[in-house]
Amino acid sequence: MKKTILASVVICYAMFLSLSSCKKDEVPQVTIIEKTDSIKVNFSATTPYTFFSFKNDAIVANTDSATTKWDFGLRFTTFILNSHAYGPGNAAAILQNTIYSSVTTAPDAGYAYDTSSAQKAIKDGSWYNYNPTTRTFSPKAGQTFIFKTADNFYVKMELLAVDYETFTGPVPQRLIYRFRYTYQSNGSKIF
Amino acid sequence: MKAIKNNYQTLIILFVTTFFTNFCFAQVKDTGFNKLSTIDEVVVTATRTQKSIGSIPVPVQVIGKKFIQQTGSQKLIDILQQQTGLVLADNPLGQALQGYPNPLGSGIQLQGLDPAYTLILMDGEPLTGRNAGILNLGRIAVGNIKQIEIVKGPATSLYGSDALAGVINIITEKPKHTLADVQLHQSINNTWGVTANTFIKNKKSAFQLFANRYSSSGYDLDKTIYGKTADPYVNYSFAAKAFLDISNHSQLQTSLRIFSQKQFNNYLVYVGAQPAAVDGSSNETDWSVNNQLQTAVSKKIKLISRFYVTGYKNNAGVFLQSNHQLFDKSFLHQFLLKPEVQLEIGENANQKFIAGAGYNYETINANRYASQHNFNAFYFFAQKEWLFNNRLNVTAGTRIDKHTLYNLQFSPKLAMAYKFYNNLTVNASIGTGFKAPDFRQQFLSFSNSLIGYTLLGANERSNGLQQLKQQGQIDNSIDITPYLINHTLLPEKSIGINVGAKFSPYKKVQIATNLFVNHINNLIDRYNLPFTKINNQAIYSYANFNKIFTRGFDVNVNYQPNKQIVISSGYQYLEAKDKDVLQKIQKQELVKRDPVTFVSNYVSNKEYGGLFNRSKHSANMQLAYSNKKNSFSSSLRAVYRGRFGYTDINGNAILDDNREYANGYVLLNASVTKNI
Repeated sequence: MKKTILASVVICYAMFLSLSSCKKDEVPQVTIIEKTDSIKVNFSATTPYTFFSFKNDAIVANTDSATTKWDFGLRFTTFILNSHAYGPGNAAAILQNTIYSSVTTAPDAGYAYDTSSAQKAIKDGSWYNYNPTTRTFSPKAGQTFIFKTADNFYVKMELLAVDYETFTGPVPQRLIYRFRYTYQSNGSKIF
Repeated sequence: MKAIKNNYQTLIILFVTTFFTNFCFAQVKDTGFNKLSTIDEVVVTATRTQKSIGSIPVPVQVIGKKFIQQTGSQKLIDILQQQTGLVLADNPLGQALQGYPNPLGSGIQLQGLDPAYTLILMDGEPLTGRNAGILNLGRIAVGNIKQIEIVKGPATSLYGSDALAGVINIITEKPKHTLADVQLHQSINNTWGVTANTFIKNKKSAFQLFANRYSSSGYDLDKTIYGKTADPYVNYSFAAKAFLDISNHSQLQTSLRIFSQKQFNNYLVYVGAQPAAVDGSSNETDWSVNNQLQTAVSKKIKLISRFYVTGYKNNAGVFLQSNHQLFDKSFLHQFLLKPEVQLEIGENANQKFIAGAGYNYETINANRYASQHNFNAFYFFAQKEWLFNNRLNVTAGTRIDKHTLYNLQFSPKLAMAYKFYNNLTVNASIGTGFKAPDFRQQFLSFSNSLIGYTLLGANERSNGLQQLKQQGQIDNSIDITPYLINHTLLPEKSIGINVGAKFSPYKKVQIATNLFVNHINNLIDRYNLPFTKINNQAIYSYANFNKIFTRGFDVNVNYQPNKQIVISSGYQYLEAKDKDVLQKIQKQELVKRDPVTFVSNYVSNKEYGGLFNRSKHSANMQLAYSNKKNSFSSSLRAVYRGRFGYTDINGNAILDDNREYANGYVLLNASVTKNI
């Protein structure tokens, strides 16, 4: 019984949140950082990763790969996280089939880590549709990445587009990833 | 001997106008037109017995020799795409790239189903050598065709695998009297066709020799890209036939057909990062021997024994121009041996019982397959026709197929036609069909050298994975054992319903209409294995996934005001959708993201446009004039193809945005023929 009541309280709370989130534009909360960004990533499975920090909204130098300055790394279509196999941080992720704007709370549990190089939190091929005709990788619509950053803050992110950087010759050199994210700087799970 | 009639034809194409939009290529089309078949035309494809078209309970279209000739077209695909409901479609695997024609060729989409789902027969026997499901129709010389019979709707109950959408049966000529005939054809792109045809007819025997040479210099639509858009080629077709009356009761028919084509390739490749020109050729050879013995056991019983052998070879290779070293080569070799017997009981063409049994021995080998594969298949079919009150015709039949690779397939069909009045017949049929998994889906074993992914056919999954593991291409921590059992692909299955009417309100007007629904289950698609190679690239294999349906109707109207003029037009309405996608839309699981604003929304049923590469509306119209006295004929015709889905741009792999469509187009053609 108690559980039911608790659940309904949570639902009410969630409803309240979704209602209040409509008003967010009027009263911006300073703890939430919303950004749209794009990064360039090597189109090769053997060249270095591009590291990104949500907190600073910036690319992190490869020399800092052994620090907690970065949250995720990306090359080709492979995501790595700053945890276990790839870094000293505590980064983890969930790939959720929910429209970005509908994600109001980061889940409490269920986060996956890069436990080994073969067991990555974000599986390659899981987040895009590849079109062999146009050779495009289009991020699946309606998917939202929920990240726990290297230093335990919560972020929701949506990949918007993956394009080829203009290239000459047979093989593209780099991909341009365009994404938007919301970073909760007060450490709460609520966006 | 009768006087030999020399007939030298020159075909002059008066004007050819073509309207093109986005994704069509400015290739000039030789043209054609068709008309509705008259009621007493005899066809064989629909029932495997000779039958007049008026009494057939399934939708059939016939293209006659006269009309093929009047079109002046030397390309079968042009003639076919001018028929109502037959749409020229690119292979779904390789649509046109940057204005280049589809490397895998184009085929005929029938009732909204891909080219791989239509069985193509020549004199009742299947042609082999499909490249990714598409059979190069350029292999068939038009000059030797007596008529083309198109049966719409599943015909698996008589013909087995692949006849889901229907059957196109190309029937070659039989000598009626002695004659010799030479034709010369010339059109743009330095295209030349020479045809020689001889019939010798005696009392108890008849012979035919047919030869054709066809060549084209190809064409180039974009001079800035190295190489031609369509490569030059030359091909030769040869056919010899003999008809012998062995006794009063039995006739022997034997024929040999050889086709050989050489296409000259010249294009740019990259060696490392440096561009380099390569040249070489693709050689295609196709041959068949078809023997048939018809024996009238009694007045009522006829026995037909057939022995058919066919082979197909495609060898291609290109060499670097700089040092003549081999750059790339590929091959596909296929062989089929098919003995069959058919028993026919009954005198009345509308009351016959037929039964048959046959065996297929097939081999296939290709550079992308691990090794050569051999198959055995047995089949049995039976069909009975009844006629009640001279008005109601009921046809019931079934076929059983047993193939090395899959379970026993049982394919029944029931059809009926009811003649209300002499000028109104209504028909309805329901049938099942199946398509065996194709060789690529079963046996492919291929790693892309540039990007590094691996494609494994369902039967190669275990071998392929073990090999990759041995080569260290799969990480040791990954457990591949659950995938070491070969996945068995099931045949794709369909149920098709056709309901139609033939109506002739006046003598000079004929109207035919047909409603169709096809449901297909077990559609085979590619999937990712849940782990990657050490280079982070995916491993793909094939499995049965999707369920789709296609439905719509077509209407043909034919008006012949006098002996010289034929006006006809046709229209097809088509819907083709994926049932799983519809379910996902229902459950709000499909989201689209606008590529410009990046706003995401759930896809609604209304937005879903169905399968790619299908036009909701397609139509044709033609005006033909022929004057026998002056041996003169001309035709004017238009083919319309409405807009169709081209590619996904909003990240959900389905067609649901106006920007994902290619514009519709109209092909306008005219031709004039004069016999000299």
